[in-house]
Amino acid sequence: MKILIVDDFSTMRRIIKNLLRDLGFTNTVEADDGVTALPILQGGTIDFLVTDWNMPGMTGIELLRAVRADSKLKTIPVLMVTAEAKRDQIISAAQAGVNGYVVKPFTAVALKEKIEKIFERIDAAK
Amino acid sequence: MSNVLESDLEDFGALVKQSSPELLEYLEKGDFSGAFNVIQDLSEARHKSFYNEVGSLTRSLHDAIRDFQIESIGSSSSQQEGEATSKIADASDRLNYVIETTSAAANKTMDMVDESVPVSSELQQRAKELRKDWGRLIQRDLTPQEFRELYKRIDTFLAYADDSATTLHSNLNTILLEQGYQDLTGQVITRVNDLIRDVEEKLVHLVAVAGRVDSISGVKHQDKKVAEHDDDRGHGPAINKQNNPEVLNSQDDVDDLLSSLGF
Repeated sequence: MKILIVDDFSTMRRIIKNLLRDLGFTNTVEADDGVTALPILQGGTIDFLVTDWNMPGMTGIELLRAVRADSKLKTIPVLMVTAEAKRDQIISAAQAGVNGYVVKPFTAVALKEKIEKIFERIDAAK
Repeated sequence: MSNVLESDLEDFGALVKQSSPELLEYLEKGDFSGAFNVIQDLSEARHKSFYNEVGSLTRSLHDAIRDFQIESIGSSSSQQEGEATSKIADASDRLNYVIETTSAAANKTMDMVDESVPVSSELQQRAKELRKDWGRLIQRDLTPQEFRELYKRIDTFLAYADDSATTLHSNLNTILLEQGYQDLTGQVITRVNDLIRDVEEKLVHLVAVAGRVDSISGVKHQDKKVAEHDDDRGHGPAINKQNNPEVLNSQDDVDDLLSSLGF
């Protein structure tokens, strides 16, 4: 299980990376916005995407739409971890096909819960 | 009508009123040259008062910016012109300093956590193993050979526990000290905040004057609708969540909304 963490702040990437490691996900890669994330995703080794929303260059919602529009990438589970908490934005993310939405500041428990829920759903769909 | 030229913007309206009977009189008499003189005077007064007002506003805006000072990046020797821009640049530098300082503190704190987690894991692991054999000792389930080994292991464990506690204590202290960033960055942000408030005050004044100029000169502006911030670009963290019905307050609210959408 290889996870790509996309956030423009390195400290936030590090926090998420450490929490994921505690959950047993030790194989992670990082990108600082959608523009740098897409080529990594297209490399084809990423199984799970954790992304922020508000980033320079390409935002998280744009990245999500790009992933869903790409026939090779569209099934990758996407977890949004962001400070964006407007009702309309969350609806947009849901419509774009996000698999989970965690608002910052978040707890380790919330992150764990969402990730587990996403895997449960994927297993149930199999 | 030389006193007219000294008049400022506030008096300009009064002056127009005051001059109109005079103007009418010239026109009625058919004295166009006299009428044009009145118009000329009014026009000059208008320009003069406008420039005076703009001049005084520019000075107060400049003062507001110059008053903003954060020590250490002072460029007191620089020219008056360069100084105004350097203070804004300084504010920007200082905000970058906030980003760097908070980032450094966060990383240092995480370094300490990264260093501490394996120590506590190891401590826990060793304690668990000892506890198992200690339980067997209580049950009198140990061979003399095992007992001798346990005896030695307890000694090693106690030394390790002592060292670990020292390491953890020192790491916790480092984390505590790192929180000093809040004080440093708080001071900088307070100063930048004051500058912004000051500049806003002057800008409001400037807008008010611009409004007065418009009302006298009869210039009409088309109201442009302020472009709404694009949701796609993001808004950053919501500051006044409680007052904004569009912003959800918690992860629970987000979960509720998503489940109402069939998630």
